[in-house]
Amino acid sequence: MKKFFALLKVSVKSMLLSSTNSQGGSRKRAATGVGAMVLIAFLGLYMSGFYSSMLMHALAPVHMEVLVFIFMGMGALVGGLLFTAFAVKGVVFGGKDNDLLLSMPVSSTMLMASRVSAIYLENLLFALFVLAPAGAVCTFMTQSGVGHSVLFWVRLAVAVFTLPLLDTALSVLMGALVAFLSARVTRGVLGQNIVMAVYMAAVFWFAFNVNGMIEGLAANAAGVKESLSWAAPMLWMADGIMGDWGLLLAFAACCIVPFALVVFGLGRVYRQAVTAFAARSARNDYKLSAQSASGQKKALLAKEAKRFFGTPMYFWNAGIGLIMLVAMGAAALVMQNDLREFIGLLGGALPVMPMAALAMGFCLCTSAVAAPSISLEGKYLWILREAPVDEGSLLWIKTGFELLLSLPCTVIGGVCLIIALQLTAPEGALLIFSMALFAGCHAAFGMLMGLTFPKLDAVNETVVVKQSLAVMLDMFVPMGVLGLCALLYWLGGRMAPALALALPLALLAVFTGVCVLILAKKGPAMLKAL
Amino acid sequence: MLRIEHYSKTYPGGKKAVDDLTLHVRPGEIYGFIGHNGAGKTTTLRAVAGVMDFTEGTITIDGHDVKRDPVGAKRVTAFLPDNPDLYEFMKGIDYLNFIADLYDIPAEQRTKDIAKYGDAFELTGNLGSPIGSYSHGMRQKLALISAFIRRPRLLILDEPFVGLDPSASHIMKGYLADLCRGGSAVFFSTHVLEVAEKLCHQIAIIKDGRLVKCGPTDELVGDSSLEDVFLELEGDK
Repeated sequence: MKKFFALLKVSVKSMLLSSTNSQGGSRKRAATGVGAMVLIAFLGLYMSGFYSSMLMHALAPVHMEVLVFIFMGMGALVGGLLFTAFAVKGVVFGGKDNDLLLSMPVSSTMLMASRVSAIYLENLLFALFVLAPAGAVCTFMTQSGVGHSVLFWVRLAVAVFTLPLLDTALSVLMGALVAFLSARVTRGVLGQNIVMAVYMAAVFWFAFNVNGMIEGLAANAAGVKESLSWAAPMLWMADGIMGDWGLLLAFAACCIVPFALVVFGLGRVYRQAVTAFAARSARNDYKLSAQSASGQKKALLAKEAKRFFGTPMYFWNAGIGLIMLVAMGAAALVMQNDLREFIGLLGGALPVMPMAALAMGFCLCTSAVAAPSISLEGKYLWILREAPVDEGSLLWIKTGFELLLSLPCTVIGGVCLIIALQLTAPEGALLIFSMALFAGCHAAFGMLMGLTFPKLDAVNETVVVKQSLAVMLDMFVPMGVLGLCALLYWLGGRMAPALALALPLALLAVFTGVCVLILAKKGPAMLKAL
Repeated sequence: MLRIEHYSKTYPGGKKAVDDLTLHVRPGEIYGFIGHNGAGKTTTLRAVAGVMDFTEGTITIDGHDVKRDPVGAKRVTAFLPDNPDLYEFMKGIDYLNFIADLYDIPAEQRTKDIAKYGDAFELTGNLGSPIGSYSHGMRQKLALISAFIRRPRLLILDEPFVGLDPSASHIMKGYLADLCRGGSAVFFSTHVLEVAEKLCHQIAIIKDGRLVKCGPTDELVGDSSLEDVFLELEGDK
């Protein structure tokens, strides 16, 4: 067991350090790591608390609180899968230290178990952030008093600790499939993108329909529970949390058995699996034909595009906001009559254009393309440093690549919203202009964050794209700017109507100007110093 | 071709990796740079290639100051690190075209040179595969091809023989000689003293960051062998 904990410690330490920057002293690294964890915890708790209370508000009056735990359990399961399924390929099967650790005198099952346990801990954190707020909501929003007993919290703790076992088992199986496909299929990246697209479509469908489902829930809560018999373990978990120890134990068994099967089953063939997934034999049938030339800038842009579209982890994490932006516009066009009816019902209480700008801005915030691009260079940075290209050009090309993606999506999404919401020409122009400005500010700020908090020694791209501090700050600081814009809109509107739009626009212009100025003045030196 | 004058490199914390190094490489020369692990070879090569910043001294390549005109210096240089990590999301041919584009190599010239070096290193057939599927030796060969197609005035190589099979090593030595016959220069580090003795016109030996001996190979070696000279200077014999 001593060896197992030593291996687990290495995996967990690497996971904890993954969000810190590779520069700076240990205190700075620790502070950035803790800050990132606090940020994730706050967001997880807030989002779960919001949906739990919304569900509980509808279900408590009909005494169907159990459904809250079913839905939150499903949310934790699906969210955990989303977080870790693609990470498994890199962490469990494609770790850069695999050769080193496989050569150590430890069994491959123990090595596999330590890797999988690190994934379990990540899922455990997510399950805690999702189920704990649901428990708190149950305590304060129900009249039955079920949440006031200590045993309720003990049962909830059992669920929190066992649910991630099922999540991890499914993630590892999915990750193994992804790793297998990547190694065996010629167009593995395309295959991964298709799998991810189907998965994201399902998540979107659920997200778009969740409000309607909640409305209908209260009327037919018992029927809904019956219809969820296909997700029996989730029903057992929820009933178990509410007081049925027998079902809780059945649920725990449902989680522990698959986990044990995956760890011991795949553990026995771990060495073979790692070898098979890594063995991508180079084909020997290429015929050289006449090559064509292009300029430096085009080549560097093409390289960024190849990395973005050729790395599913990067594409789906950094591109999801842009996909959402276009999807939102398309959905608004399709449902324009409902939208207009809804706006009409509000009787002008809702500022339509600023709300559309906020929604578009939120989507742009989640598309961190430039922020991880410096860290993604990592061990390849020598290629760019050796090339006859000055540092300034490299930075503007990376920043420009984000704009090349975000500006067309902003225009498409914006035009769709303008048509759907029947905005006037000046309002429409202002919407597009302000969001284009925001896209520019987001790209420049992201580049600055990438330079300030680089993670050049990351073990894989998952760590950079999903967990790095630069990416998190690039998402949440611009969200804060958006919030500040909304505040200025409100304050300006109270002073003079013209100020309502002028103040947020001025803030965006100043923020963009400052980011661009710092990037131009300090950026090249920062890149050179890495 | 390469002039290193009073170059020093101090790492944060005060450790001096290289101390007051002065060294000149003339056109047409193959210059070997030898020393024990941690002597300062890679630090020097990386500074010459413009990959690493330095504070003291000057380095000029073909008249271009590495500090004042880094892009000009890099345009006439090719650098190959000891363990070249290449973009794994690219195919071999994509990487060669990427490098060729960065160095503004015309289409006709790159096609001809890729074919020439690709065939010589027996890699042409694999150029359509992702670099992620390449073995260490294949990556080393691809990096070498990417260096040769630039037709550099100065070729900087850090331990170029590591990972290459004997046949590829032999071919590489031939191309290094060809490059020098065309007026370019090669500056490389190695631990393979026999190769350095046979291949290099000039040799410099560095110890603890200081240049302890340099000069034409035959003068430096004399009646002895490079191994004996090296060990004597290192104090191991």
